Formats: sequence, C-alpha cells, structure tokens
Amino acid sequence: MNFSKKLNNGKFIITAEIAPPRGIDTDKILKGIYPLKEYVDAFNITDNQRSMVRASSVVMSKVLLDNGFEPICQFTGRDRNRIGLQSDILGAGIFGIKNILVMTGDFPTLGDEQGAKPVFDVDSLQILKMVKLLQEGKLINGKELNGKPKFNIGAVFNPFAGPEHLQIAKLNKKVELGAKFIQTQPVYDIKTAKYAHEIIEQSGAVPIIGLLPINSLKMANFIKKLNPHSVPDSFLEKLSKAKDPYSYGWEYALNLAQSVTEFGRGIHFMLVGKTEDLAQFIDYLKNDSPYNHKF
Amino acid sequence: MVVVKLKPFNEILKILNDYIRITVIGCEIGSGRCMQGGLREAKELAQFLKNNGKEIVDVLTLGGTCIVEKVKKISFKDTDVIVSLACGAGTQVISEEINKPVITGVSTLFIGSDSHKEVFKEYCIACGDCIISTTGSICPIARCPKSLRYGPCGGAINKMCEVNNNTECVWFTIDKKLNDIGKYFSFPEIDFSDYSFSNHPRRFKNEL
Ligand code: SF4
Ligand code: SF4
Repeated sequence: MNFSKKLNNGKFIITAEIAPPRGIDTDKILKGIYPLKEYVDAFNITDNQRSMVRASSVVMSKVLLDNGFEPICQFTGRDRNRIGLQSDILGAGIFGIKNILVMTGDFPTLGDEQGAKPVFDVDSLQILKMVKLLQEGKLINGKELNGKPKFNIGAVFNPFAGPEHLQIAKLNKKVELGAKFIQTQPVYDIKTAKYAHEIIEQSGAVPIIGLLPINSLKMANFIKKLNPHSVPDSFLEKLSKAKDPYSYGWEYALNLAQSVTEFGRGIHFMLVGKTEDLAQFIDYLKNDSPYNHKF
Repeated sequence: MVVVKLKPFNEILKILNDYIRITVIGCEIGSGRCMQGGLREAKELAQFLKNNGKEIVDVLTLGGTCIVEKVKKISFKDTDVIVSLACGAGTQVISEEINKPVITGVSTLFIGSDSHKEVFKEYCIACGDCIISTTGSICPIARCPKSLRYGPCGGAINKMCEVNNNTECVWFTIDKKLNDIGKYFSFPEIDFSDYSFSNHPRRFKNEL
C-alpha cells in the first residue's frame, strides 16, 4: 500500500529522511537506503537542510522515483522567492512527484554559507497558500496554469516551540491551507510524543512523530543546546554511562517508536543509521509486534 | 534614530592617503546620539588625523546633516577632502551639494532604539507598509530575522530566537505586549507581502 493511500485510510505510516548528495553521486545514497525499500513508506528529501548546500531536492526526489522509492520533496522559503518556488513546485509536478513538505527554513547564519542573502519572501503558510492556488490551476498572481499539479502536502510542527497558543494557531492555519500530514521535530519522550500527536490530530492532519536517534554524547549535547528540554536527563545519564552509546541511542529511539505505534499514526526517522537494523525493526513492528494490525 | 558605527581611525586614515587639508563633520542626530559620530567623535578623529600628519581645516556639525538647505550654506574653501561622520543619507547630501571629495568615517547600521546609549537595537527596516498596529506595535518584520508576519517559527524555544539565542523571539515580545493590554494576535487571512514598497531607491513626495 502506498503513502497516499495510508494517509487516507488510517494505516500506520513510516517515513525516513535523507539528504541529497553534496556532489552528484546518488548511487551511494540509493544503495544505503535499499534495505528500507519495502519498509519505509516515503523518504523526505531535504532542501539544503541547516542552510548547507546539497544537490536539488526536486532532482533527488526524481532520482528516488526512478528507482522505485516514494519521495516527499521538501521546499523551504530560505533560498527562493515566490517566482523560484512556484517554478520549482511546478517542476516537481512535471516529474510526477506526489508528496511535498513545506517549511519556512533555517536561517543561513546557522549553516556553512553564513554570508548568503536570506530570502524568506514567503513563509510556510504563504508557501502552503501558493501550493493551494497552484493546485486550483492558478499562479499566485491569478494567471491560469496550463496543467495543474496535485500533491499530498505536508508541513511541520515543533512541540517544544512557543508561544504555545500561537504555535497551535499556526498549525491549524497550515492544515486549513491544505497540509494533510504533519511531521514533528524530534521528540525523546512519550509524553511529548502524545502531546504532539493529540494537537496535530485535533487540527485534522495526520500526525507523524519525528525521531532522531542519538548516537553519541556529543550529538546529545548538540541537540540539548538547540532544544534544552527535549532530551530527558535520565536518557543523558544512561547514555553517558553506556558502553556503546550508539546502540543505546538506537534502542531508545526504537523503543519510543514502538510506543508511538500504540496510539499514533506514524513515525518519521530523521536519520536512517544502520539501514539493515532499521529494516529488521520495522519488519518486527509490521509482523510480530502487538500493534501489527495497524500497518 | 539612525544607528551608525564609527570605522577604526586607522582605516579612515588609510582612505585619506594623499589628502592633506581635511574638514571633519559630525552629526548630532543619529551619529551623535549613539556616540559614534557626533561633534565629540569628530574632534577625536581630527586630533588623531593631526597626530598623523594631516592638517585640520575645520571640525563642525550642522546639527542634522541630511537637511539639504543647511548643507548648501557652508563653504569648504581650503579643504581637500571632507570626512563625514553622518549616516549614509547625510554623507550623500554633502557629496551631492559640495563639489569636493567626501569620505565616510562610519558605517550606517539600522533604524533603532537607544538604551542608555549602550545598546542600540534594530526596530524598523522601513518596509514601507507598516503592519505593527496588529502586533501590539512591536515589529516582527524588523525584529524577526525571517520577517515572519504570521506567527513564530518552530525555532522559538525557551522564548529565545533560534537565530540569535541571546535575543528574545519577537513573537514572545508581541505576545506579552498583547496579553498585557488584554488583546491576542488573531491570524489574519494569509496574503503575500508586497515587497515593491521597499524596492530602492525610494522617493516620497509630500503632498500635504
Ligand atoms: S512594519 Fe516594521 S519595518 Fe515596516 S514600517 Fe512598520 S516598523 Fe518599520
Ligand atoms: S525564533 Fe522568533 S524571531 Fe527568531 S526566527 Fe523564529 S519567529 Fe523569528
């Protein structure tokens, strides 16, 4: 069953995230995700994530399509104005890309091209409105399109950001403007996962809970710096004592993933790690776990 | 006010290379207020240039430098070059009105506020289509790095801005102000901003 169908019929969704190459060699990436082909419903293809140059997300999405994977092509407002974005979103439509994910984007100074000019002509809500208009067969200036695109549209939600009521109001606006699924920023405890799930479900979209397995103390501290309340102290303590922090971080994320299958609609792996292990885990969820009927 | 930053004196000296007879102009409005280019700093710069072999013809201020009639009235007869500590606008008015070389001793930073002449913060980017009446008169266009007018981004964690984590996310500032006055931000219909209002160079004709 494909991603589109699962979005509509309530089945549990598993997505994962990959970045296009820094360069033009896509083979290594394709080979890396090959074990996940039957297990992951769709792959997010990031758009110069954290403001660092990678090959185009639209082109990489097409490469995935050609190789039998289902891509979710990400678009941010950081590098293109409304002219560039409309053009590239139509391009994605020509390529037959069916899923897109829209966000405002990180600021350039957070990446490795700190002197770059930030664009932000349109934010996440304005891009969603843009896509809505394109799907209705119009450019934002009202001009008629010659052939209109059709996408499953996604957006993002960070349960740690505030002010809470404004974040929720903005989430509701995203859904009102056409977002069908919402992926969250990474969560590290079940309480936050449930909270995010409920808020998103109330908005009317399909919640997909973000999981970013932590593979070292260094990574944990980096995430803690970005988002001080996201990583529980108990996890950090155990991680610092673990003989093999990599395995501990993975198991922790997988346990959380399994808990989300109890009440949730989807999980999103923001790092694929050892793909064979991940495939095996998903195989277990789908076939042998107590919640296998949800898949 | 317009906030400026004085360039290092050595840098100014370097640009002045062959010029000998120099007039230094300070501006008492923005530059003076932020203690980067008023009469006081003009005098300090003049002393430095003198110590480095230059001849100082005059050190003066017109109060405000961007007022064309005022600039037209002064003469700079024995001067080889004018060093202006006024903002970008003031310095250009001098250059357009006076047939002499003009160099700037400051970089113009932004339109901002003044906290005890210690901290200056950018409050307005002159977008040309002011929306702050709906945001508690706190400006998200200037004070959010991404100019987000429809609520905070997902990086607004612990009240701080994801871009500068020593600065409060302006959406928290807006939210607090609106709370304090018993109002709340109601999401307007999402529309596309009209950046043609801020395409430069701009011109404004006062028709009153
Ligand atoms: S919205 Fe902000 S940037 Fe625009 S004119 Fe008003 S204060 Fe200035
Ligand atoms: S954290 Fe707040 S001020 Fe900073 S970019 Fe996001 S919305 Fe703008």
